Amino acid sequence: MAMEVTQVLLSAQSVDSTVRKHAEETLKQFQEQNLPVFLLSLSAELASEEKPVDSRRLAGLILKNALDAKEQHRKYELVQRWLSLDVAVKSQIRAYLLQTLSSTVSDARSTASQVIAKVAGIELPQKQWPELIGSLLSNVHQVPPHVKQATLETLGYICEEVSPDVIEQDQVNKILTLVVQGMNANEANIDVRLAATRALYNALGFAQANFSNDMERDYIMRVVCEATLSPEVKIRQASYECLVSIGSTYYEKLAPYIQDIFNITSKAVREDEEQVALQAIEFWSSICDEEIDILEEYGGDFTADSDVPCYYFIKQALPALVPLLLETLLKQEEDQDQDEGAWNLAMAGGTCLGLVVRTVGDDIVPLVMPFIEENLSKEDWRRREAATYAFGSILEGPSPDKLTPIVNVALNFMLTALTKDPSSHVKDTTAWTLGRIFEFLHGSAVENPIITPSNCQQIVTVLLESMKDAPNVAEKACGALYFLTQGYEDLGSTSPLTPYFQDIVQCLLNVTHREDAAESRLRSSAYETLNEVVRCSTEETARLVLELVQVIMQELHKTLEAQKLSSDEREKQNELQGLLCGCLQVIIQKLGVSEATKFAFMQYADQIMSLLLGVFACRSATVHEEAMLSIGALAYATGPNFAKYMPDFYKYLEMGLQNFEEYQVCSVTVGIVGDICRALEDKILPYCDGIMTQLLKDLSSNQLHRSVKPPIFSCFGDIALAIGENFEKYLMYAMPMLQSAAELSAHTSGADDEMIEYTNLLRNGILEAYSGIFQGFKNSPKTQLLIPYAPHALQFLDSIYMEKDMDDIVMKTAIEVLGDLADTLGSNAGSLIQQSMSCKDFLNECLSSEDHLIKESAEWARLAISRAISV
Amino acid sequence: MADETSKHPKRESIKSSVGSIAGQRRREKAVMVGKQRRELLMRTKRLCRVGVSSDSANVDADDDDMMMDGEQSILEDQTLKAVQELKNAVSYQGKGAMQKRVNALRELRRLLSKSEYPPVEVALTAGAMSTLVQCLSFGSPDEQLLEAAWCLTNIAAGKPEETKALSPALPLLIAHMGEKSSLPVAEQCAWALGNVAGEGEDLRNILLSQGALQPLARMILPNKGSTVRTAAWALSNLIKGPESKAATELIRIDGVLDAILRHLKKGDEDLATELAWVVVYLTALSNVATNMLAKSDVVQILVERLASSHSLQLLIPLLRSLGNLVAGDSHVTSHILVPGNEITVNAIQAMIKCLESEHRVLKKESSWVLSNIAAGSIEHKKMIYSSEVVSLLVRLLSTAPFDIRKEVAYVLGNLCVAPAEGSGRPTLITEHLISLVGKGCLAGFVDLVRSIDTEAARVGLQFIELVLRGMPNGEGVKLVEAEDGIDAMERFQFHENEELRTMANELVDVYFGVNYRLDS
Repeated sequence: MAMEVTQVLLSAQSVDSTVRKHAEETLKQFQEQNLPVFLLSLSAELASEEKPVDSRRLAGLILKNALDAKEQHRKYELVQRWLSLDVAVKSQIRAYLLQTLSSTVSDARSTASQVIAKVAGIELPQKQWPELIGSLLSNVHQVPPHVKQATLETLGYICEEVSPDVIEQDQVNKILTLVVQGMNANEANIDVRLAATRALYNALGFAQANFSNDMERDYIMRVVCEATLSPEVKIRQASYECLVSIGSTYYEKLAPYIQDIFNITSKAVREDEEQVALQAIEFWSSICDEEIDILEEYGGDFTADSDVPCYYFIKQALPALVPLLLETLLKQEEDQDQDEGAWNLAMAGGTCLGLVVRTVGDDIVPLVMPFIEENLSKEDWRRREAATYAFGSILEGPSPDKLTPIVNVALNFMLTALTKDPSSHVKDTTAWTLGRIFEFLHGSAVENPIITPSNCQQIVTVLLESMKDAPNVAEKACGALYFLTQGYEDLGSTSPLTPYFQDIVQCLLNVTHREDAAESRLRSSAYETLNEVVRCSTEETARLVLELVQVIMQELHKTLEAQKLSSDEREKQNELQGLLCGCLQVIIQKLGVSEATKFAFMQYADQIMSLLLGVFACRSATVHEEAMLSIGALAYATGPNFAKYMPDFYKYLEMGLQNFEEYQVCSVTVGIVGDICRALEDKILPYCDGIMTQLLKDLSSNQLHRSVKPPIFSCFGDIALAIGENFEKYLMYAMPMLQSAAELSAHTSGADDEMIEYTNLLRNGILEAYSGIFQGFKNSPKTQLLIPYAPHALQFLDSIYMEKDMDDIVMKTAIEVLGDLADTLGSNAGSLIQQSMSCKDFLNECLSSEDHLIKESAEWARLAISRAISV
Repeated sequence: MADETSKHPKRESIKSSVGSIAGQRRREKAVMVGKQRRELLMRTKRLCRVGVSSDSANVDADDDDMMMDGEQSILEDQTLKAVQELKNAVSYQGKGAMQKRVNALRELRRLLSKSEYPPVEVALTAGAMSTLVQCLSFGSPDEQLLEAAWCLTNIAAGKPEETKALSPALPLLIAHMGEKSSLPVAEQCAWALGNVAGEGEDLRNILLSQGALQPLARMILPNKGSTVRTAAWALSNLIKGPESKAATELIRIDGVLDAILRHLKKGDEDLATELAWVVVYLTALSNVATNMLAKSDVVQILVERLASSHSLQLLIPLLRSLGNLVAGDSHVTSHILVPGNEITVNAIQAMIKCLESEHRVLKKESSWVLSNIAAGSIEHKKMIYSSEVVSLLVRLLSTAPFDIRKEVAYVLGNLCVAPAEGSGRPTLITEHLISLVGKGCLAGFVDLVRSIDTEAARVGLQFIELVLRGMPNGEGVKLVEAEDGIDAMERFQFHENEELRTMANELVDVYFGVNYRLDS
């Protein structure tokens, strides 16, 4: 049945684009016309030892892509397609795939491994292909090493692909035994040992039972630790990756091994090659992650319970761990500050040190201070930079009491270093450290301020001066200014930064115009810092903010003038427009808050709107997320007058709602519909047919990311609130959607935390929809129309109350819906509420809630209900 | 294809750029602002309230003002002032005294209607009650009476102790419902008294002893829509019981029966709803009232309205009234709902409509009505048996929530036994039994036997008994065994309820043998 595909597969990799395109087209047609034969032919190609390696590899790749896709919806389709394939065809394909594992061509084996894992990922959860694991495990001791390697690789991929509950414990045991044996030092073949080590990494999640058994765990740990000493660097790296994973997955089992692990990791950090040393550091970072989580659950109160006890590994390792990490800080690369993706020993060590500090707090300060003091003024820039980095790392975690005296001494030194140090590395880290000082030790909540009227001017001057420095230094200076500004956030009518406001704004604008502003993300940091400066400004500087509007408008206008852009230029334009729209959004929000500034700002509204429309017009298939957010701010500021922009804007709104692929864009647009509803109120009516149609389409789509669905429901509520009884015509569409979503979200049994969290978001959206609809109809002669839907709403409240897993937010929205129902339906709801199974209990529970918001809502609901029952 | 280097995402450096984090936070904030504004708008809508009385079209526009949190204390201050102002106005005797009193009352009434948290407590502590009672004195102008009664209505809607505070005002409120009072004043008084009567038995008894029933009853006689509705609502609160005396007294008042029938038949749905609740309490509490109503047109009217209405609010009291009547007076089944009559067909159709509705209450109440009809004569049983009701019931028995299933079981059980003649076991209607068992309803009854509700369990056991006794060729034993009936009955072996224990043990002994029980 299989057809000859070698030539077309080779042509599909041809350098000649005509040949290539033709071949791709042929393959596509073949797939569409006869999928079973197509897949079968590919698997035969992959299995055939006579065929060229290139055609086999591509055959495997196409097979793999026919089984899995990144996009959730597409993936689902592919799974269904495979499952519905003829059984005989599938079993033939499986046979070819298994056969390929014995190929002498390593590319073919490796490709087959991955395809098998994809098939297993689909079939094992369906209880199909039950003999797969067994057949892989059988004979494995009699086969040549290359087949053994391929088998281990396949098992590893399978473990990566399926969830642990799919494979029987007995098979898990066999897999682990085989894998651990393969990792053993007795295994002569390096490829087998490497494949086994990588397979273990994926199989660790299956080893719960084995890690609970002391003997088995000891054995696995011994083999992993031994593998970290292998002469082969790849094996050492892979085994450290296993160790990192064990550290987070089996933290509570580590105690007997932690001393040995410390010994081997410190040797690796000091002596091994970088990729191995990085993993060794990563082990300690991930132990910090675990302990930080556990201690957070303790909530600083040691009587409180956590599922896992804290073993304080970090605290115990501190005396040896800290010197080890401080050593790494001295291993900087020359150009690391210019390279955004850089990751080396010094950066990993510093990051780990920061985590260690967060884990142990005050205890670390005396261990790090001598290093800082010794190196901060050394000749060698590496020593000065390392000392500064160490200082910056210890600023989050220890108490202000411990840090403030040190920072008070160091601040002047840092400010001087930022201006005078000859090394750009040192300046970069110094500016970053200043930012950390402002982030953690400055603000209205801090008792002993670091920044005083006497040093504020100096700080600002130094930071602004640094913004003319190299891009990486200037970027860090922006960060420092950002946190400096944020610390003065809620001061009321006057801010210590007011005298410097104009200089700061001018300086930041200059930074955005630097020719090298694209480096080190300098431009985006400068704009975001500018936004923070505006956001935290006081009315003293409102006039200056108003002037800034014109500047930003001009900038935005400039981006619209450019024509015939290359795709590279287009991307730059897009990014810059995003930054400018973000800035407009913050400014509009700021000026819209007080009547006086809003009035002054309104003169620009028309111009801003036309600029935003221009930004939208730059793109054809999608809308600019940041421009959308600016629209929301503008709609709020202009209120009902926003109606005049709607005829031009509406198409972009619709475009945003249609954007399934970029679901964040869709989600943001849904939120903007809400903003516009509140601005326009019933003037939004002419657009509601279109908007509702689109929202209902979104809800029924299984392509749309689920996170957008809760806000869509809330948006129903926004629309109903805006148009009141005119929502009547949408009831028959919206209500069934609400009801079926309500049924889905009523029960969470067996769901994981993530699912419960989502379910609560969904419930909240549904409840907000009900609230909006009930309140929208209140006092209308048409409230009767809602009566048929009331029992369902009450049932929904009943069922989520019974489920006992709602969060505080849902509890509040739910009790409000009960009140809304009574408030709007009055006596019509009275008898229903009296008959409801749990309304009374639910209300009482809310009335005695400790959350004052819930209590307040419940008081209101109680009144609404008592009126509904008595009237 | 296989990535040879580390597959794991790189850890985020502690020294990352501020731009991306700050941008993220800014966007989250922008979305958050929208949510906060939604909250604020909802709050405003919730706190917006129109005037209490629908008759007072002259509610000032600022009654609709929203009240925000912090303004509660301002509101309380205003209330204190208003009570003081009212006291001054009442003691003032000079020129324009009347207008001054009315203005002061109106101000207080507005404050009491303004917020979701009406400052009732503050007003009472400031001594508003005695002054309001003074304002109700005889000979006062209507406007003053209306405003005072309105204030009292709002106070009566408050917490229980606040409602009780109305005690000194009750005799005057009742008096102002007299024949010489203007309608708006009488209605406002009825409203206040309805709130008081709804509070509890003690206050109801006080109102009854002070003679509230007569004037309220008189108010439902004419055809004055809103007044009748308010009065009927107040009456249903007043006769709620648990004593039956008030209900009996009400139905005996001249013209009341006619008025009830008239409004029930011709009133709009809101009015009919209030009257139907009056009928519910009349038929639930008083045999006299039940007899009088049973002999009237009420069944006819109830059935008609049941057929024509789609309002759940109305359907519920209609159904319950009908059920009370069928259960309470055999006249209804023997003389009105007679098989073959048009009204009977209509009644069954109405029950079908309710059984098919999606409202649980309607399903339950209509099953209950049917179970009472099915308890009637052989002809009644045959009539139900041959209608579409049966297939609906059989489905409900397996799918409906427990409380409905229990009611349904009564109907189905009643269909299988003939009316008892003398004592002893009821005679079987074998044809019905075989057919119902054939439709698979035994499983539903066995299920009820397992329930912890002893009444439901009894119905289940009774039906099993019928099956064991009545199915031809001893087939019952096999059927019960096949549905795990023995297992279900065995849990009564040592049950604390003697009747059920005896019943279950006897059934197992007789039909499955003593050994059966002991062995297993």
